Amino acid sequence: MIQWTILLAEAAEEAGGLFDFDATLPLMAVQFLVLVVLLNVLFYKPIGKAIDDRAEYIRQTQQAAKERLEKTNALAKQYEQELVTVRRETQAVVSAAQADAQKIVTSQIQAAQQQVQREREAAAQEIEAQKAQAFQSLEGEVDALTRQILEKLLGPELV
Amino acid sequence: MEILTGLKGLSFFPLAELEVGQHFYWQIGNLKVHGQVFMVSWFVIAVLVLASLAATRSIQRVPSGVQNLMEYALEFLRDLVKNQIGEKEYRPWVPFVGTLFLFIFVSNWSGALVPWKLVHLPAGELAAPTNDINTTVALALLTSLAYFYAGFKKRGLGYLTKYIEPTPILLPINILEDFTKPLSLSFRLFGNILADELVVAVLVLLVPLFIPLPVMALGLFTSAIQALIFATLAAAYIGEAMEGHGGEEHD
Repeated sequence: MIQWTILLAEAAEEAGGLFDFDATLPLMAVQFLVLVVLLNVLFYKPIGKAIDDRAEYIRQTQQAAKERLEKTNALAKQYEQELVTVRRETQAVVSAAQADAQKIVTSQIQAAQQQVQREREAAAQEIEAQKAQAFQSLEGEVDALTRQILEKLLGPELV
Repeated sequence: MEILTGLKGLSFFPLAELEVGQHFYWQIGNLKVHGQVFMVSWFVIAVLVLASLAATRSIQRVPSGVQNLMEYALEFLRDLVKNQIGEKEYRPWVPFVGTLFLFIFVSNWSGALVPWKLVHLPAGELAAPTNDINTTVALALLTSLAYFYAGFKKRGLGYLTKYIEPTPILLPINILEDFTKPLSLSFRLFGNILADELVVAVLVLLVPLFIPLPVMALGLFTSAIQALIFATLAAAYIGEAMEGHGGEEHD
């Protein structure tokens, strides 16, 4: 150990030592500035541009996607509204048709009933007429028969 | 005496030896620079540039492989800077703070993961560039310049009013802050990385096999944390300089 410390001390003595400032300092500074410029051209600008371009591309794509999504949503809403109105129209048409059909049915039923009524009345009148006719003819026959019976009973002279 | 000679024999055991404060000097004109620091820093820069090139070779909208990794890194850095500076102003500062993080992080991990010992230098040894005080002070001073620049650019000369806010009595402390900020930034990073490498080196010196592994794993963790701390503090200083203490722009 002692040996080693002595060695260290010797080394420090014979050479410039740890704090040996010389032209290395300014040259290193210049060299570093050159490195900054070099890396600015070779590294920071192209890679930074790549990163920024990608960020811009992603932003734009996202924007476009958002717009498209909004459009889709608007379209979906519009379609839904149209669907609602169409459904309402359908309902109106159906109910109108039902009402029409109901009306037709009622009117036809009424007409049929009236016709039936009329035919029944006509039939009743005819029956009445035929009955009256039958009664008239019967009356005629009754008269004739009555005359014959009287003739037979009283003789033809008295009649 | 016998024990000492025994120790001497041990210290020249070929598996591990310790060198601190030795540098591999390069002479440029009449300037001296630490060659080992630059060699590893060039390696780090090469790694970063190659990773960037691999990531941006063919950029896809749906990322995969290296591009995915680097995009993750960039988003992490952006979040870090955004959290400190705020949504409105953070963008121009991402390259600076991000490069601080990446450079420190790759430096620290390269120091911990790459077996630099295999490369033999005449003096000193290859290690993370961040364990040299010159590197960390350079980065910290750049950070100071950055937040001064940010403050003056955003608020003009009004930036100077921050020194007498909330009360002129705090003027010395506010001025002192401008010195302590880079000081603490650089010494924190330098000390942590150097200490981590020293601890590993000492443990390897004592017990060469297996025992240092948990400390190495811990070192990886602290290295990453140090990079994060440096970048976060730099962003926080910049954000603070731009925001001001006036409180009229709480948005």
